Amino acid sequence: MTDTLFAILHMAIFPGGIFALTLGFFYKSLDRRVEARLQRRVGPPLIQPWLDAAKLLTKETMIPRTACRSVFLLAPVFGFTGMAVCAAFIPVPGVYAGLSNMGDLLVIFYLLPMPAIALMLGGSASSSPFGALGFSREMLLMLAYETPLLMILLSVAMLVGKSLGAESSGAEFSLLKIIAWQQENGSLGFNPAMIPALLAYLLFLPGTMGVAPFDVAEAETELLEGPLLEYGGPLLALFSVTSAFKTFVVTGLGVALFFPGTISSWWPINLVCFVLKCLGLMLFSLTLVKSATGRFRIDQAFRFYVTVPTALALCSLILVWVM
Amino acid sequence: MTAMNTGGSTFSMPLGPVHVALEEPVYFHLTVEGETIRKVDLTSGHVHRGMEAMASQRNLTKNTTLTERVCSLCSNSHSFTYCMAVENVLGLDIPQRARYLRVLAEEIKRVASHLFNTAIQAHLIGFKSLFMHIMEVREIMQDVKETVYGNRMNLAQNCIGGVKCDVTPELLVYILSAIDKMKPMLEEIRDIYATNSMVLGRTKGLGLLPQEDALRLGVVGPVARGSGLKMDVRKASPYAAYPELEFDVILHSGCCIHSRTTVRLDEIFESFRLIIQCCKRLPGGPTIASMRQIRSAEACARTEAPRGEVFYYIRTNGTDIPARLKWRVPSYMNWEALGVMMKDCKVADAALITNSIDPCVSCTER
Repeated sequence: MTDTLFAILHMAIFPGGIFALTLGFFYKSLDRRVEARLQRRVGPPLIQPWLDAAKLLTKETMIPRTACRSVFLLAPVFGFTGMAVCAAFIPVPGVYAGLSNMGDLLVIFYLLPMPAIALMLGGSASSSPFGALGFSREMLLMLAYETPLLMILLSVAMLVGKSLGAESSGAEFSLLKIIAWQQENGSLGFNPAMIPALLAYLLFLPGTMGVAPFDVAEAETELLEGPLLEYGGPLLALFSVTSAFKTFVVTGLGVALFFPGTISSWWPINLVCFVLKCLGLMLFSLTLVKSATGRFRIDQAFRFYVTVPTALALCSLILVWVM
Repeated sequence: MTAMNTGGSTFSMPLGPVHVALEEPVYFHLTVEGETIRKVDLTSGHVHRGMEAMASQRNLTKNTTLTERVCSLCSNSHSFTYCMAVENVLGLDIPQRARYLRVLAEEIKRVASHLFNTAIQAHLIGFKSLFMHIMEVREIMQDVKETVYGNRMNLAQNCIGGVKCDVTPELLVYILSAIDKMKPMLEEIRDIYATNSMVLGRTKGLGLLPQEDALRLGVVGPVARGSGLKMDVRKASPYAAYPELEFDVILHSGCCIHSRTTVRLDEIFESFRLIIQCCKRLPGGPTIASMRQIRSAEACARTEAPRGEVFYYIRTNGTDIPARLKWRVPSYMNWEALGVMMKDCKVADAALITNSIDPCVSCTER
């Protein structure tokens, strides 16, 4: 009973819910501001994502006459739920250990594509040809970037599992144990065998977040936001909230996998440390990449993911295997 | 806006009339198979303003203002060509200084127009930083326009018999210093377009318009020059001060989007050459010729606008109201080429290809 209550609290307040949303929106606005500064603009105020969401909430929900009503309405809820649950699984090293002790890496792997699936569902239900094209592009891209992600997670799990030996049967999927192992033996981000995996993870981030050069599914100047085209009002706000959660989840997961080291035993310092590490990861792999590139065509993006990040992740996997 | 199934594996997709990638309303009806475009139908007429009818209700002087408002980016070319046509009808010979000042205004507008098109291409690729950077460089030219002519878009420089605004020696120095400032920045931009793998990957070898198709369709301007056709009114039938100035016609034979962009970027440097020559060789004397009695006659004139050849025809009946004023704009000639360029390309490239002909919808539909 208390376990369930705690789980709900974790999903609603920390690290999911309010905390993840605040942090996600903070990252999103900072991302826009840094990008603006790189382009010699001022950029929006830090509160802008909140204002945008608040404005969208006051707007009417429009549903296209030809859309599949139920799917169109449920898709954003589906994506939001997936990310809201997933956020509670993200451990904050030195502060919070994550929801479950067993197999949570796999749970995260299954929950992570939910916003993309929601986008695909919403896009195809909207009956717009742009939504349909966005659907097919998102699906292709997802197939391409999920493969390296799986390999990255596997190599981390195998490396830690091998080291722990008999305790785990070859691979260790508990994030709690992965973090504990790293705090004892040093962060995986500095492990030579894991550097290709880290690079692959950095390349995975823009794809999963759908930002340039991999914003092919929403491609404003080609598909007019594709699957999101027919969405407006509270439903669109839900998509932006989901995206904020996802920013928290993917950067938080990156920190947990590669840089979970703590510098203090006092939790507020660890918390600030975590926030800064996530921020660094985001600015480096999302903002900088976004402002230095254009958009790939879907075939180019697909080819990129099945070659570079997949090769890097495979490299780590093999290194871990033979070591 | 529904995905109409047109039988088989194709479906139809609208591009426009209101689309982020289009600056002006025009409607492309794309028949798409997966991501590949099989057929393009074009519907236009959304911004028809009845300008030719309006022109035959105004007197010759007022029409200068009207024609300048046909298009925004090549506004100067329209009033320029119109004034040339009227001068031909009246048999006016304009002062030498006015000829140079007209070329100066025209080339300044050309630089701004070409940079705008290049910036939009970066925006369509999703390269926002490059877009911002090019627009920032273009701003220098906008400042020049504002400082010299008082306006940022419509310069209102041309008038029948000459030019309205004289350029002082201090302003000439200012123009030259602005060009000195822009040159290194533009060299950098040209370098980015020539080497950046993202830009090349999205533009090179796409939107092909082979030379024979370009000839058949009669395309003009950078679209023709990007397909290796040496077509430039400034050389073919020199007007104003062009016969006395040195410049090259830029030709590229890639026939693709990238080749057309390179033509534009290289032409900016030719425009700089022309502006510098105009500033240095500007002769003295009056800037406007005195008006003559209007007679009953017809005449035409053509110039090279940033998008290609602009052609004006005028017929007068002895009054100050023209009996007929007719013009043909470059985009009208380039439209048809889109069908060739877009065939069998990807949906992702449709907007880029459209932008590569630098379409001016309000010109074409006027």
